[in-house]
Amino acid sequence: MSVNFGYTISLPRAVDLDRNDFSVALRVLRRLPELESCIGCGGCTATCTAGAFTEFNFRRVQTLVRRGEYGGAYREMNKCMLCGKCRLVCPRGINTRAVVMTIKRELGTGY
Amino acid sequence: MDGFLRYYDHFVLPFTVGMLVLFTVIIYKYVRWFVRMPKEDRRLVARGIFTKKTAQATGEVACEALGHRKIWRVNPTLGYMHMSLALGWFLLIVVGWIEATVHFSGELTAPHTHVFFKFFGPTSHPTMTGKFINFMMDFLLLFVLSGVALAWFKRLRSKALGMRRTTRHTLWDRVAMTALWMIFPVRLVAESAASGIDGSQSFLTGAIGRWMVDEFGIAQVFNISAVAWWVYSLVLGAFFLAMPFSRYMHIFTEIPLIFMRRYGVRSGERASSFDHFQIEACSQCGVCIDPCQLQADAGINHVQSAYYLRDRRYNRLRREVAENCLMCGRCEAKCPVGIESNTLRLNSRSRLNDQPAEGRYEYLRGVDGSCGEGRTGYFAGCMTMLTPATLSAMEKVFAAAGEDVWWADRNGGACCGRPLRLLGEIAAAQRMTDHNVELILRQGVTILVVSCPICLRAFRGEPRLADIEILHHSQYILRLVEQGRILMSSDTMSYVYHDPCELGRGCGIYDEPREVLRRLGTLAEVSQNREHAFCCGGSLANAEIDSTQQDAIARTLMAQFAATDARVIVTACPLCKKMLARHSSRARVADISEVAAARAVAAATP
Repeated sequence: MSVNFGYTISLPRAVDLDRNDFSVALRVLRRLPELESCIGCGGCTATCTAGAFTEFNFRRVQTLVRRGEYGGAYREMNKCMLCGKCRLVCPRGINTRAVVMTIKRELGTGY
Repeated sequence: MDGFLRYYDHFVLPFTVGMLVLFTVIIYKYVRWFVRMPKEDRRLVARGIFTKKTAQATGEVACEALGHRKIWRVNPTLGYMHMSLALGWFLLIVVGWIEATVHFSGELTAPHTHVFFKFFGPTSHPTMTGKFINFMMDFLLLFVLSGVALAWFKRLRSKALGMRRTTRHTLWDRVAMTALWMIFPVRLVAESAASGIDGSQSFLTGAIGRWMVDEFGIAQVFNISAVAWWVYSLVLGAFFLAMPFSRYMHIFTEIPLIFMRRYGVRSGERASSFDHFQIEACSQCGVCIDPCQLQADAGINHVQSAYYLRDRRYNRLRREVAENCLMCGRCEAKCPVGIESNTLRLNSRSRLNDQPAEGRYEYLRGVDGSCGEGRTGYFAGCMTMLTPATLSAMEKVFAAAGEDVWWADRNGGACCGRPLRLLGEIAAAQRMTDHNVELILRQGVTILVVSCPICLRAFRGEPRLADIEILHHSQYILRLVEQGRILMSSDTMSYVYHDPCELGRGCGIYDEPREVLRRLGTLAEVSQNREHAFCCGGSLANAEIDSTQQDAIARTLMAQFAATDARVIVTACPLCKKMLARHSSRARVADISEVAAARAVAAATP
């Protein structure tokens, strides 16, 4: 039995670009090259309808996918309501709804 | 049986084979499609058959399938071309059948005897009625030939007939089309040769026949006749053989489609066997290509309804073709056959993207961002949250009218579900709709005012909300003014109105926003307005095009408005407003609620 002292320790966590599999990321970028121009401003997340009710962060998920980190991405993207506000506020004109659809299609239920 | 084949020559074989194949395939297809239709749809047909709907449908078939009335409206030259071929050929068959039946005094003969009557029977009749029939047959042939000539000309130069672009065809289409183009010129040669041999006096075939005899001699004309009847039968056979596999399938398929549509059968957001009737009723006339803004502004040439329907019909529909469409409905508004191409596209998308939504959106449980109390509800919608000017304008309008309002999503709410639905995620969309419907029903409002046309369409299509009057804010504002609950002052300000797709073509709301603007100042109109209005390019139905393509579409729309002198471009959709505002240099872009609220004052209490 472990005793809970009220402290938590995060596991060491780093994105290892040398080890990650980029095949999905590359396919997403081939379909939506403009995603490369994301400046990470977070406008998408700030305006998100779903994000108002739950932990859903579009900027985070798509950035991780581009880094080859696919774990949980499909489940996260399924929280999106596709309302399209993020596309309207994106200063780089990224087709955000297509990003959601493409990531879901690429990763399916396997992840 | 003796009489049935009394008139026979080997050359009739290609025609007979072609005709048998044609009718076998068509009957097989129709029976198969019909049997596989959902039970409710078949019941609709059964219930409708012995009502006046059947008579109405028969009339519509005569107007459309023969007269091609709707194409006349879009383009008179094209209308004439189609009518001359359809009505002309139909009458040739009918009059020819009468001529042959009278001649054979009702004796039962094989169909080819009627079709090749000028070969088997006499080419001319001495009586007055006979002369009239001779004249009619020649006249009708000339009528059809004029249409064929136009069709040839259109292939060479589509622009000359008022079409910027015309459809590209499949191999079957090319075979059928080439055969069709040859049928009537060859028939002219065959009948003329027969008339020349007979010495007929009719004005067209008789005259050409006499000329042939003078020019080539009677022996040569016999040879020409023998060859021409063979070729005539061959091209007829080829046309009939290719027809059920080509776009010419529309000739017959439009007929059951018109009947079933009258009985109330429609395509839905999930594919059904009825869709076949719509898909194969498409003639690929290409009327849908010119109005498509993806084609005109974004250089996308392979996704238009004619191509989408063609690809789906031949089972080679690619995801991109189904998904690359604004679903603005401009092409649907112009389609002469009235095919529900947007609905069909939706069900293609649901086949691609729909997935069970259990466990999704659990976070919505218990979410309620509403506030206020009142019998009037107001649903702003996600997009309206990005145009806060609309929100504050509505606040002002409600205050001026002294209305107690229940704000459904003041502190955040779920999406209406239509954006998911438009991309084919039907099950997920249903969860959004369910959430909102429960929220609205719990409150017990009698009127629901909606600011976003996308949400408006989602709620209007919901049977559970049938008891609530669902209004767009432009309708609501006009009602307040008409009831004298608010007063609006007018001045000389000039406005031009942009019809949002979902509000105009989607919900049929064209007049109320215009009426509000007329009460505020002067209203200018652009040429492409109402059901032909351009899309702003921001459509949520399209997740394929990138922002440069969206911008190109919006620029064309803005150029129209710039050509008017209007100082304010008014729209009634937050999404359109965002798109327009991005591209406006001179004129101010505003939502109708803003311009109305700026001039609205509370009516003096009596």
